[in-house]
Amino acid sequence: MKKIIFNIALLLVFHVSIAQTNRGSVGGIVTDVKSQEPLAGVNVLLRGTVRGTTTDAQGMYLLKGIPAGTYDLSFSLIGYTARTINKLSIQPDSAINLDVSLAQAPIQTEQVVVTAGRREQSLRDVPVSVSTVTSKMIADRLSVTLDDAIRYVPGVNMMADQVNIRGSSGYSRSVGSRVLVLIDGLPFLTGDTGEINWETFPMFQIDRIEIVKGAGSALYGSSALGGVINVITKDISQSPEIRFKLFSGIYDKPVYNKWDWSSSPRFNSGGYLSYSNRTGSFGYLLSVSRTVDESYRENDVYHRWGLYSKLSYDFSQFQDLTLTFNFQWRNHGNYFWWKSLDEPTRPADSQLNGNVDSHRGYASLAYKNVLSDVFFYSLKAIYCSNFWQDDSSGRVNNTSSSHLTQLEAQATYTTSSSNVLTFGAAGNYDRVISDIFGSHPGIGAAVFAQDEFTPFQSLKLTAGVRYDWQRIWKEIFTSPASVSPSQLNPKIGLVYTFDPITTFRASYGQGFRYPSISELFTSVSTGVSQISIVPNDTLKPERSTSFEIGVSRWLADNFFLDLAIFQSSYYDLIEAGVNPNRFEIIFSNVTRARIRGLEAGLKTNWLNRMISADFSYTYIDPVDLSNNSVLRFRSRNLFYASITGNYRQLRAEVNFRYVSRVEAIDENLVRLAPIVDGDQRVECKVVDAGISYNLLGIGLPFSVGLTVKNLTNYYYVELIGNLAPLRTYYLSIEGSL
Amino acid sequence: MRFLVFIILCVVFIACDAGLAPPSPVELGFGGTVYFAPGSWPADSLISLWIFASQVYPLDSSKVYAGLFGNPVTIFLYPSITSSLPFYVDSLEYSFPLRPGIYKYIGVIQQKDSDLQGLGIRVFKVVGFYQDPADPSLPGFVEANDSVQVKGININVDFNNPPPQPF
Repeated sequence: MKKIIFNIALLLVFHVSIAQTNRGSVGGIVTDVKSQEPLAGVNVLLRGTVRGTTTDAQGMYLLKGIPAGTYDLSFSLIGYTARTINKLSIQPDSAINLDVSLAQAPIQTEQVVVTAGRREQSLRDVPVSVSTVTSKMIADRLSVTLDDAIRYVPGVNMMADQVNIRGSSGYSRSVGSRVLVLIDGLPFLTGDTGEINWETFPMFQIDRIEIVKGAGSALYGSSALGGVINVITKDISQSPEIRFKLFSGIYDKPVYNKWDWSSSPRFNSGGYLSYSNRTGSFGYLLSVSRTVDESYRENDVYHRWGLYSKLSYDFSQFQDLTLTFNFQWRNHGNYFWWKSLDEPTRPADSQLNGNVDSHRGYASLAYKNVLSDVFFYSLKAIYCSNFWQDDSSGRVNNTSSSHLTQLEAQATYTTSSSNVLTFGAAGNYDRVISDIFGSHPGIGAAVFAQDEFTPFQSLKLTAGVRYDWQRIWKEIFTSPASVSPSQLNPKIGLVYTFDPITTFRASYGQGFRYPSISELFTSVSTGVSQISIVPNDTLKPERSTSFEIGVSRWLADNFFLDLAIFQSSYYDLIEAGVNPNRFEIIFSNVTRARIRGLEAGLKTNWLNRMISADFSYTYIDPVDLSNNSVLRFRSRNLFYASITGNYRQLRAEVNFRYVSRVEAIDENLVRLAPIVDGDQRVECKVVDAGISYNLLGIGLPFSVGLTVKNLTNYYYVELIGNLAPLRTYYLSIEGSL
Repeated sequence: MRFLVFIILCVVFIACDAGLAPPSPVELGFGGTVYFAPGSWPADSLISLWIFASQVYPLDSSKVYAGLFGNPVTIFLYPSITSSLPFYVDSLEYSFPLRPGIYKYIGVIQQKDSDLQGLGIRVFKVVGFYQDPADPSLPGFVEANDSVQVKGININVDFNNPPPQPF
């Protein structure tokens, strides 16, 4: 054992010592070949090594500390043809200036993603379905919250605040997400209810969002039952940069007079401002946001303040430390469901005077050390805080706070040109103090490993496994713990490149979700017919398995097709049910389900790329095997279409989404809440449109836009008893200095 | 390009209705009058009072639970599970909106005690039911439809002489 440790230490020392000498660098500007405008966010990767970076807002990149040698340097960006500079010779102590131009591609496939394998990979090399939302798409669609930004992702649909990836989640009453959301690779769910705080993400600082479909617990642990959403924030600019964005929208009046509850116009407005710079080894970014949504519904107003900062320090070209801080204050009306379909813009009488105050945020620390061209490791920590209290008529009803700290260490070791090993460990400490859920500490730990093997150039194999352990105590550490079985989740994957235009993929993975503290320990009276919600600390984790086969192929220069068939099985899904013998509601492991389906995506363009279009269709067959019926809160058909036109500085975009009518709902929820007309629902058929003009051509560093959401003023519900937003007109201005 | 135009036309066609609308003012289901026997109202033990309509008959305890809280729901309450009929009245006209279907057992049920958790279903008592015109000892059934409300579903309630209990 001592010998092994000695050899590893020698290896590290050797690599570090090598790292100090015989180094060169390469840097430059990446531009659009046609417009000559700088391109931000270009992935720059030194192939065969772990070295890489992205260009900043001025299109600049810099790779330092490269050992002398000959390399291939690749540049990739969504919407552009990837380019590789072959046999780039790096000499000791040399600084190469290499400016590169990229041409717009009909469709891009060389996109780099980090979520599917916990490291940077070409999208063509991952064995699972991955979709990406870029910061440009967020800006073009004027997405104010994260859930709004993913509404056009193939296979994804929202049910109020719960996200479904290929039908994974349904609606679990805002407790326990069956999709894991990460911020820069670290889990970001609330400690008490285990749900996603969509509004807390720093929307103005998002570089891209990656959505991995299918069970992903083999890499990320609990909650990755149906998929993983990773929100990746922007890097700090290499040079001083001020960015700003202002928008103001006005809700249209409903066509039915009885739905028009307000005599004054209702606005949805906001502003973002950020400044970033880098001085030597030190970089910083400060950002503030303010949004106010008066809402189209009574007592549904939102006031939000957001603060975000990122600090980074480069100890050397091989080591850097990044500290991120994000905080949001929010106050909003306590609108849960409508009064009736006769008055869907008014809440039930009991919700007229309530509102909720919340303070939410996180602080994270990330340290990365590149020990050699084949080995690097990272250490990460994140502290997530979540506090809320609700009141009605000035009287505080409930308060809850959670403090979740998570630690993670990961190493990536390129053992040979055909093999990459990724491994690590994680731990968490959770503390909840709540008058609904009680006060509960919890701890967890995990180890994981993944190996990617390329036996020959056209075939890539992946295998991974993760072991998770968790305990949650009823009150304090000395009381009996709620024993959740430890979880061992494997994954395997295969990518076969049949020819330069055709790639096959297949994958199998497992997922699980530990029950949230709210599901284990909620104890509260519902105020309905003396029915109470009672704790159940015997809940078992939910589990899932996913299997997928897919193929992607260029059908022509301007047609790219991706097809996938998939099946997911779910075990021990937790549902809130009525225990009639005791007239109480209790969370129990009751549902066994199976979802089969297919997904097709088509990307096209015409007229020398002046017009481009994306289409996707997802069909699922959701079966509740517990009672051989349709699984509740699932839509069978999703169809999304996005058509974009660009002419010089003018840009226009039309997006359409169709989500078929939810076939089965929880009728008890409708009856017990009660939600008058709660069973009233239709399919979703929404058109969003926008037009923008970039004033850079006349010397002004910003663009102006007009966006109309729900253009046809279609009335629908995503969640029962909740009328979705009416037609809304927005004006926006966004730019950088 | 023709493909794109085709898709756009499809989208326009699909998206050209308005979606949800205020419900029709026509009340469906059935309606009638509940007659309370004079002087029979209890002085206490009145927590709640509902009209019920069950698609299942005969009932036992498990069917009551399944009908109220199962999926699909087969027992419906009027005015709602959270609100009661008024007390101490001589009669009450009602209009019970219900989805189309056959309702085999319709009546009035009283909640006698608030200790639901302790007493369970024993806190409830059927105090009157809609009688079969051909054989008043049996429940009459009602077929609700989606075009017109069924009227004349009258129920006699005598708290002192309740009918045989179904559970």
